[in-house]
Amino acid sequence: MRLGFIGFGTMGSPMAAHLLRAGHVLHVWSRRAASADFLVEQGALRCESPEAVARASEIVCTNVTGSADVEGLAVQLGRGFAPGSIHVDFSTIAPAAAQRVAALHAEHGVDFVDAPVSGGGVGAQNATLAIMWGGKSALAARLDPIFAVLGKTVVRVGEAGAGQVAKACNQMVMVSTIAACAEAARLAQASGVDFGRVREAMLGGSAGSRVLDVFGERMARRDFAAGVEARLHHKDFALLADAAAQVGAPLPVAAQVWQMLNALMGHGWGGRDTSCLLEVLELPGGGAE
Amino acid sequence: MDIGFIGLGLMGRPLALHLASAGHMLHLWARRPASLEPFKAVDALAHVSAAEVARHTDIVFVMVADAPDVEAVCLGEAGIAEGGKAGLVVVDMSTINPNAAREIGAKLAAKGIDFLDAPVSGGEVGAINAALTIMVGGKAEVFDKVKPLFEKMGKSVTLVGTSGAGQVAKACNQILTGVGVAAVAEAFNFAHKSGVDPARVREALLGGFAYSRILEAHGQRMIDRNFAPGFKAWMHQKDLRIVMEEAHRLGLMLPSAAAAAQVFNAIVGSGMGEEDSVAALKLLEKLSSPD
Repeated sequence: MRLGFIGFGTMGSPMAAHLLRAGHVLHVWSRRAASADFLVEQGALRCESPEAVARASEIVCTNVTGSADVEGLAVQLGRGFAPGSIHVDFSTIAPAAAQRVAALHAEHGVDFVDAPVSGGGVGAQNATLAIMWGGKSALAARLDPIFAVLGKTVVRVGEAGAGQVAKACNQMVMVSTIAACAEAARLAQASGVDFGRVREAMLGGSAGSRVLDVFGERMARRDFAAGVEARLHHKDFALLADAAAQVGAPLPVAAQVWQMLNALMGHGWGGRDTSCLLEVLELPGGGAE
Repeated sequence: MDIGFIGLGLMGRPLALHLASAGHMLHLWARRPASLEPFKAVDALAHVSAAEVARHTDIVFVMVADAPDVEAVCLGEAGIAEGGKAGLVVVDMSTINPNAAREIGAKLAAKGIDFLDAPVSGGEVGAINAALTIMVGGKAEVFDKVKPLFEKMGKSVTLVGTSGAGQVAKACNQILTGVGVAAVAEAFNFAHKSGVDPARVREALLGGFAYSRILEAHGQRMIDRNFAPGFKAWMHQKDLRIVMEEAHRLGLMLPSAAAAAQVFNAIVGSGMGEEDSVAALKLLEKLSSPD
């Protein structure tokens, strides 16, 4: 298939490489030419603009940072898209922004699919992402071969924007669990009990989760350096709190977690793994250490 | 072995029966004689007091509601401490305040009686299937003595640390499950209010970093709108009260657990305490703007 790809960060780079390796013709553009060099070396075709990428591709994938980036790109892609093309956006953005982009493309007979992912950089590299997408069900036949190359759980959640709603749910459940894990670690530590042992005791039971497994382990080792950059979760919480406010859905637990992420950012820890929420809880001091 | 068992409720009864099936002689005492009915068919002796149970056994298990009950059974009038000989092991499987467990353990130790706190996770189903998670605090050599019996009741048995450490682990467990249930309820209510099917959301999330046993099992019950217990909301409220008591005592900031505790207060306050914890979803629906 003739594909386009824009956005070569931690997630986008391995995803684009997977598509290229799967035998697709890949058209790429990047603001800084250097970030796409590794793909061009592997046979990707460099284009001079997003418009040119759209003109050359049946399906264009984007993976950028915020709602404004996606909306800006969509306008440029729109100038090049032929009717019947598909814009697949893997970024995590506001559900309302995804719906606006879908409406914009629909005017030109172009389909939009919001397909945010969960699984982090490791999931992207190993092609084990969870992909949650929103868009017309008729598009599944054209999209499934692409998604199959990138992830292992692919679920169509609903119409355009539904993928972003699912991703917001993913983030509130995941990061709330990271916060709960940090609080459990804090309680154990202040009680003079080894959290590593507590984590082990809990893993097989009703409190078991991937977060307890992965992030709980980082907390037990106090290794907050690598993993998921907390600033990205902080960004996601601003989005989901706003989306929840718009539909009038109360989020008592997620709201507290959001405040903890604010405190984390305030200390300049946005580049560290979100498991450093444990250090946020330690800021006031106290407890029998 | 002669084994005592006190507290034959939803959790205690199946656990005691597992020990009987393993060939042990049970010594029982119950406040209500009706609790002894299921033991007519097995090797079991009913006694007039906890002290008498202790007098005839080497190990006594206790599985009651809360710290005052454990204290009464262990240290009260005609309690275990009155009848127990030096070297007796008391194993408390109730979920109580860690500090209360340490104090009870210390008072028993003064009489030469060993104490393990061994709260469990997994609910009634886990108890019936001998599939509980058992989190133990106490001396390693005492744990080793009891371990073969724990293995008749659970599939994951961990010595977490010294006296009280089992209860600390259980408190940690309840932070994760309490916050987990509330977070999944928040997510599903948000999805519904956004016009998206929570069942599809659950399916999409199961493959990612949000995966948890709570999302899988409790999430499914929310989608089925099955609010029958399970684990009753008032019990979760009680367990989170223990967490917040410890946070208060130790001077800890536990914001998400505190928010979850408020959610459970409201669940019980709105008359849903006897329902499963997944009633958190109904609470959020009540609080939300009308459809």
